Amino acid sequence: MGKDIYEEFKAKFGDIIHVRREKSNRLYFFVPEKNLRSVVKYIFNEIGCRLSTATALERPDGFEVIYHFSHDKTGKYFCPTVFISNKDQPSMNSITPIVKGAEWIEREIMEMFGIRFKGHPRPEKLLMLNNPGNLDRPLRIGGK
Amino acid sequence: MMERVIPVGPFHPLLEEAEFFTLKVDGEYVVDIDIEIGWLHRGHEFISEQKTFTQSIYLVERICGICSTSHPIAFVHAVEDVADIEVPVRAKIIRTLIGELERIHSHLLWIGLAGHFIGYDTVWMWAWKYREPVLQMFEIISGNRNHYGMMRIGGVGKDVEPDSISDLEKILSSIEKKMYMFAKVVKDDPVLKSRLKGVGVLKKEDAIAYCAVGPTARASGVAIDVRKDEPRDAYDMVNFNIIVLENGDVYDKFVARVLEVIESAKICKQCLKLLRKEKGPVLNNVKEIPPGEGIGRYEAPRGEVLHYVRTDGSNRAVRHKVRAPSYANIPTCKASCIGIPVADALITTASIDPCYCCTERSVKIVDEKNRELHLDLLKLSWEKTERIRRGL
Repeated sequence: MGKDIYEEFKAKFGDIIHVRREKSNRLYFFVPEKNLRSVVKYIFNEIGCRLSTATALERPDGFEVIYHFSHDKTGKYFCPTVFISNKDQPSMNSITPIVKGAEWIEREIMEMFGIRFKGHPRPEKLLMLNNPGNLDRPLRIGGK
Repeated sequence: MMERVIPVGPFHPLLEEAEFFTLKVDGEYVVDIDIEIGWLHRGHEFISEQKTFTQSIYLVERICGICSTSHPIAFVHAVEDVADIEVPVRAKIIRTLIGELERIHSHLLWIGLAGHFIGYDTVWMWAWKYREPVLQMFEIISGNRNHYGMMRIGGVGKDVEPDSISDLEKILSSIEKKMYMFAKVVKDDPVLKSRLKGVGVLKKEDAIAYCAVGPTARASGVAIDVRKDEPRDAYDMVNFNIIVLENGDVYDKFVARVLEVIESAKICKQCLKLLRKEKGPVLNNVKEIPPGEGIGRYEAPRGEVLHYVRTDGSNRAVRHKVRAPSYANIPTCKASCIGIPVADALITTASIDPCYCCTERSVKIVDEKNRELHLDLLKLSWEKTERIRRGL
């Protein structure tokens, strides 16, 4: 008790992550895609956080995928963010093999933004699986 | 071994909304379940990114008809988190009062439906009878029985009339009395026990792996509740317990909701008492929202609602992400339905109190000229059902 989990986390991963916003109960940081799984393993398995959801958003120069992990004992949030610069064929490692609860949200992001999640056990559409229209990445700028 | 497929849905009398479960069965037992959603898209995230913050409050209020104030509360929390906006104490109390009254009416709605699903219509009629006065309380407070339109960034839109508090207290104590009776009846009822005990067990480790929330997680022994974990609004001014049970079966989910109704009634009583004492404004004047990002959440009747907002200093969100509790809870059916008889699978899928209109809120399909595609949703739905039927 008494030790701040953010301080512990930063002591462990401080040289990998880049913190972009920190408040008493929110920590938003960028993490390189190759280190995402080790960070998620620590947050989910060792600290015991719960994955609330993930958000993808399109920027002019690429994509951000933000995972929202809730540490329910303290009400704090960890938000590891992966930046993907390849706009033509965006892809990143899936965390579903570590966190089962990420399956749906990664499928949804795949469908809405066209981001491929490598190692996802079921890379299918979630919402428009049986949709007859030829719909392509509808939440992207210029998507249809 | 001969496997057969039983399709349940997309339109089925047992399911309040459109969803599609494919049960693979061997004899009478379910060996696999697949869940398909995608019948209720309305595109809230997309629309919200084109509306101002104040307009978005009304938009997110319409994500769900049953827990219609959970989304606005989570959304205003998110925007307040971006800008660290203070909320007046009286507004905090009113927010909590409305949120808890909503939990009462939402849980009573599910309790009634669950009774109806298992063919026990007495439970249904009782629960819905006691739900009605709660809606009357909403009418007294906000003028509406649903979609109260009360939340604002920095407070609430309307004060509770001081004259109406004694009426509200009278209605509330009558509901509370009935709920104690109801809880006793449910606990002793041999029909409910024999039908629901040991049915559709969700183990604690599965609840954690699937990141389940709300009563679905709490009935499996996972003690999470946003009201305690991150107390905002008036939750740190009131006393209440979170209901955590151990077995994870449908009976425990039933009991958890009945007991939560009683806790909510207690919170409402304390809120009304506080409203007599606390005077003052109910809305802070918020001029602008700076660039940044924020997470807002609220414990809706079904579990944690999460809104993530990214702002750029303008009067609208650059990205607005909504995660409703059913989105996290529905996949747990994969853990709780496999290995149980078909007859139990349906009440098990219903036991998480699934709310599909919240879950599927993220797609609006337009072409490059901003024309909406597939206007005839009914026809689209018929075609889809037919295609799936042919595929089975």
